[in-house]
Amino acid sequence: MTLSTQVIAKTNLSKSPAPPKSKSPLRLSIERFFRNPLAVAGLVILLAIIFVTVFPQIFTHYSPSTPDIMNTDSPPSAMHPLGTDSSGYDYLARDLYGGRVDLTVAFAAAFMTMFLGVIYGGISGFFGGWVDTLMMRFVDIMLNFPFISLILVLEAILNTSSQWMLVLVVGITSWPGAARLMRGVFLQMREQDYVVGAQTIGASKWRIIFRHMLPNSLSFLIVLVSFSVASYVGLDAALSFLGLGVPISVPSWGGILNSTTDYISLKTEPYAWMPPATLIVLTILSVNFIGDGLRDAFDPQSKA
Amino acid sequence: MATYIVRRILGLIPTLFVITVIVFLMMHAMPGNAFQSLVFNPRLKNSGELYNRLVKENGLNQSLVVQYIDWMKNVLQGNLGNSFSLNLPVSQLIATYLPNTLILAVTAEVIILAISIPIGVFQANRVNGSFDMISSFISVFLYSIPGFVFALMLIFIFSFTLNWLPSSGTVTAGASWSGSFFDRLQHLILPALALALPSMAYYTRLTRGNTLQVIVADFVRTARAKGLRGRKVLFRHVLRNAIIPIITQFGFDLGGLFGGAVILEQIFTWPGMGELSISATINRDYPLILGTTLLFAVTVLLGNVIADILLAIADPRIRYN
Repeated sequence: MTLSTQVIAKTNLSKSPAPPKSKSPLRLSIERFFRNPLAVAGLVILLAIIFVTVFPQIFTHYSPSTPDIMNTDSPPSAMHPLGTDSSGYDYLARDLYGGRVDLTVAFAAAFMTMFLGVIYGGISGFFGGWVDTLMMRFVDIMLNFPFISLILVLEAILNTSSQWMLVLVVGITSWPGAARLMRGVFLQMREQDYVVGAQTIGASKWRIIFRHMLPNSLSFLIVLVSFSVASYVGLDAALSFLGLGVPISVPSWGGILNSTTDYISLKTEPYAWMPPATLIVLTILSVNFIGDGLRDAFDPQSKA
Repeated sequence: MATYIVRRILGLIPTLFVITVIVFLMMHAMPGNAFQSLVFNPRLKNSGELYNRLVKENGLNQSLVVQYIDWMKNVLQGNLGNSFSLNLPVSQLIATYLPNTLILAVTAEVIILAISIPIGVFQANRVNGSFDMISSFISVFLYSIPGFVFALMLIFIFSFTLNWLPSSGTVTAGASWSGSFFDRLQHLILPALALALPSMAYYTRLTRGNTLQVIVADFVRTARAKGLRGRKVLFRHVLRNAIIPIITQFGFDLGGLFGGAVILEQIFTWPGMGELSISATINRDYPLILGTTLLFAVTVLLGNVIADILLAIADPRIRYN
């Protein structure tokens, strides 16, 4: 009898189709992300923008820093598809090369705020108690800090003139929000079973933070970075627009807007300011769609 | 409640203290001071002497600690000092520039709340319907446009192409109707819209999300079951419960709108606090920097307190002890 049951079990096994390969949560999230049409569209647009700013040589043979002095203030023509400015710089070349500064600053600053936020918020949330109270008090103060004056003062002190200074300025002024978010995440995680379990088997604090809690906060971090990139593209452009960003000789979208939106040009040369404005909006829009898609992909319940 | 409000306001003092100390240290870390340009003025004969006298008169040669304590003493007596660059009392300058910023921020807030809350509620009422889909897409789109790009577009469309509204200033200079209510309103529309639109999209999303959470609650079903009209259920029962997180966010943003106005004030040449604080920093006008910072900080902190108080009004279950 035991033999027969064994045989039946065996035949059953051989008849049933091969069990589906189990998928990791990350794999499932990625699949969910690619099923979201808006998110995929955002990804495609963002990749296209990154492509044209990394390889602008394919689309224009003008350099953003050598003026065509025979054709200054030219409207769009076959030679200069978007016209030239009063010094003869080709607008198309400046728009394409300009994206490098904006995207580099936005991504680098987003990673910097994430880094600062994880360390500060992580320590605060993990240790809790008076450490947490004190550290969050400081975050509250920094969150209430008048933002533009802080940037003005920082730029005067650092004497900013490069994109990395801009990254530093944006990072220093924007980390408190990220820190507050990560502190919430860590506070919540600290009470979860796997952390308590790791504590009971005697894992050290640093091991718990780096091997257990940090990988589990990865989904929050990715979403945080994507939304930060979106807001920093706007912030960086706004700073350059105010003349507080990279020097005007270095092309950047905000800088182009700054020089093309005086009272006369805004009215008469829409071909000069509309392309960089469109690029800024398209970049932010695509990153926002990606961020929305990532959030829904990592946390399917949040969609309700 | 009254004791709670008093305690919250008293609790702001340490925060304000720390903010002013940081600003004080940072502004002194900036290179140069307000009077150094005099030294290089070729028209002044004894510029060095004048410079030394001004530095001494304004106490800039004293140690930072003494300077800060002096400033603090004056502030506690209600005296924010005199501006170095404009030669006027800081309080008088703020009194001139603050109303413009206030008008701008308040108008923007009214636009935000009056439009985004009803839209969000209607979206949630027919979730995934055509209105929801279209307006959600538009609000993500609006949310992605930075305020200053919006401002440029608005100026281009409404001032230059359609010629409907003025693009700069608060009044029409030199016209007989200059300064009338209608004139001011015309100048206010574009900057207020540019300030409001990006936040409007955000508030619409927030309202929609919160309404969705409340709309499935039992008490809503009860209200509908006893025969209340749909609109009444929506605005009297659902909204009152969904509005709480919106109020909190609104309080936090009050100060943010103030700060966000800085960039727009530059574009619309709106003579407000933004212009004042930027010129103060560029001119190393220490008393004016401290005065404007203090004002910004007070606004943000008061916004937070107001958020908490409104929260208690909206949700009677919240009791502060």
